[in-house]
Amino acid sequence: MLNVLMLGVGQCGNRILDAINKESFGGGGASRLAKYCMRPKFPSRVETLAVNTAVNDLKELRFTTAKDRLHVPNLHGVGANRNVGKQAFMDNRDTIMGEIEKRGDFDLAFVITSTSGGTGSSFSPLLINELKRQYPSITVITVAVLPFREEGSIYLQNAAFSMRELMEVDAEGIILADNQYMKRYSGDIASAYDKINSMIAQRLLFLIESLDSEMLSVTDLGDFKTVMNGGLRIGTMGFYQADGKNQSIKDAIENSLKPGNLLYPANVSEDAARAMIIIQGSREYLDVDQITKEVEKLSASAGHVFKGIVIKKGYPKVLSIFTMASAPELESIYAQAARGMQDEKEKRSRSRKQLDDAFAHIEDLEEIY
Amino acid sequence: MQASKLEKMAPINPSDPQDNVIYKRKWSEMRHLTYLTIFVLLIQAFYFGAVCAKETNDDQVTYTDFTLNIGDRIDIGDYQVELIEIQSTKDGIVVIRVSKVGGALDEQRAFLQNSANNFDGGSENNGITITVTDIPDDQSAKVRIEYQEILGTPRRHASERPAAQLDKPILSVQESFDRNQMNVGDEVKVTIAVKNIGTGQALDIKAEDTPPLPEFSYIAGYPPKIKETLDPGESDSAVYLMSAVKEGSIRVPAIQVSYADSKKNARSNNSEPFNVLINPKSKANLAIKLTVPGPIQVGGKGVLNVSLSNMGTATAARIELEGEIRPPEGLEVTGLDKSFFEILPEKEVNYSAVLSGIAPGNYTVRLKASYDGGDGAMIQEGTTEVVVLEQEYKYQYLLLIIPIIVIIAWMYRRYKVYKY
Repeated sequence: MLNVLMLGVGQCGNRILDAINKESFGGGGASRLAKYCMRPKFPSRVETLAVNTAVNDLKELRFTTAKDRLHVPNLHGVGANRNVGKQAFMDNRDTIMGEIEKRGDFDLAFVITSTSGGTGSSFSPLLINELKRQYPSITVITVAVLPFREEGSIYLQNAAFSMRELMEVDAEGIILADNQYMKRYSGDIASAYDKINSMIAQRLLFLIESLDSEMLSVTDLGDFKTVMNGGLRIGTMGFYQADGKNQSIKDAIENSLKPGNLLYPANVSEDAARAMIIIQGSREYLDVDQITKEVEKLSASAGHVFKGIVIKKGYPKVLSIFTMASAPELESIYAQAARGMQDEKEKRSRSRKQLDDAFAHIEDLEEIY
Repeated sequence: MQASKLEKMAPINPSDPQDNVIYKRKWSEMRHLTYLTIFVLLIQAFYFGAVCAKETNDDQVTYTDFTLNIGDRIDIGDYQVELIEIQSTKDGIVVIRVSKVGGALDEQRAFLQNSANNFDGGSENNGITITVTDIPDDQSAKVRIEYQEILGTPRRHASERPAAQLDKPILSVQESFDRNQMNVGDEVKVTIAVKNIGTGQALDIKAEDTPPLPEFSYIAGYPPKIKETLDPGESDSAVYLMSAVKEGSIRVPAIQVSYADSKKNARSNNSEPFNVLINPKSKANLAIKLTVPGPIQVGGKGVLNVSLSNMGTATAARIELEGEIRPPEGLEVTGLDKSFFEILPEKEVNYSAVLSGIAPGNYTVRLKASYDGGDGAMIQEGTTEVVVLEQEYKYQYLLLIIPIIVIIAWMYRRYKVYKY
């Protein structure tokens, strides 16, 4: 059995972690009552911990137990200031790591964070470093969420610097999710957030369940690490669940790789470095020949594709994970962030000059009363 | 004669003064003559009255009463009157001897009370008349002697013989019941005791206990028989048995015992009347009380407590108890049928029977007691209701409440788990 640690850092990470806990109760509206009646049902031994400097963000969580909420005392958040966040982490590092240590040893850790906020973007790189330092054998996967582009220059700036730091730490890989890309799923921002959080939660749990299951075709944590170490060590996930109208496994695999079902805008055939296809469903739907053909077709472009098949009653479900050899969208984010930073710098310079000119009017004068 | 002579003379004219003087002279003479005549007549009348009065006093009859004991004697003139015997006080017959000094009269005669007896022509003819006016007892009599005063004053001479010993029987009569309270059906023994407490022999003794009391039936010994003769100091008694047949307070009348003395004088005496109370007939009265503590459940057992109380005044004997359940199915009872030899008055016997519920419902347990209650066979019944309930789980409601409490506690605990 896999021992999995899921850390939700910052507001975004907290909410995705809360969505994961919600899914452990079955998801949907029934989970609101189910959390009072039953214990969360994770596929493996999963420990969760929500870390935040803003206590109000922690209070908004609904499916995460109180003991799994760690408030790092720093007034009311770090105000999207990564430097303040880093200082807060360092000041409370022992507390944070002590809470993790209480939860035992783990094989796999997911650090779920937004790249744009204050706490998550500043804490996560430092936290990953600490995890790798204290638990060298643990596999650490960062689940990083990119912001809406229109959220402001500070968030873009944070995303740029945070992503760079995340790339530099010794984690096994990053799974990207792009809010900007996925907001099309819902009309309003609040619903979009819930939908995005739920999608990420379902896919992560599906991944954990699959890695910890008896597979017809074996994929395990080692394969997953190999996939995540491919390319830029930045990957994303696609997911598709067949329905009664079309139970074709071939179509299910193809659909899971289509951009519309990915968490981050990517072209698998062009950008994928390594991939893993995990298929789950009733035996009658799982045509091994078709699966093999589709995997071979993907391997032609992605280089190496791991496949895992889990026999489980139901229509076929396919989770595709792949790392990218290139990430064009990231470049545009950095460019946009740089422009924003430059604009802000110029704006600040102009404001300073205007202020200096204003002060010049009273430069030689004294106060008279 | 002179008057007639005058009346034959020429008539006198008063208006003639001459005639008037003559008239006045003649009238005065006639008046003096009338006075003289009246005087003479009065002298004669006084003389004859005195002579006649002297003659009446010498022949006047008077009387004197005496109380004589036997042997006493009265002397008057030459007569001697002696009380010889009281023959019968009842019939008023007394024997008196009358004699005359010189032997001219010596007669012993039986006198009937209040009948005058003349001797020598009686008191009107210089004899005497004797009447017995009263006989107080058989030793004395009151005697009246009538006589002319010329015979002198009668004198009583007491007898020098010693007084004859009294020969007077007196019977005391006593009637008694052996109890003064009894119940209808009880036998009562009546004793009539007669004792001669007098000095003479009582003869012809007869007890008259009539009429028979309607509240009793006479069983034996009635009418009571007493010895016909009882000497002084002797007693006799008679006993008879009766059975009370009717309740009530009875006034037992006096019993009269009649007897006669040696002189055949009839006498009698009575006992004192008294009261007896006859209560209603004594009989047993069994009260049956059946008590069930409460409903029993199907498959459960209960106790039926039976209490038999003899509320009557007689012993209930040979008691047979037989139970019955209606409807007969659904309830079983064991140990209800019993037998008891007897239950004394005001005593109680208790026992218990075991009830077993088989089917739910209301059942009637009837217990019939047959017994001899002192007035023949008697039957008494007692009933009670027994309710058999469906098997009840006493704390069944906990099956609902406990899960709710557990769920609430669990949810509260979970709420606390998620409360931050």
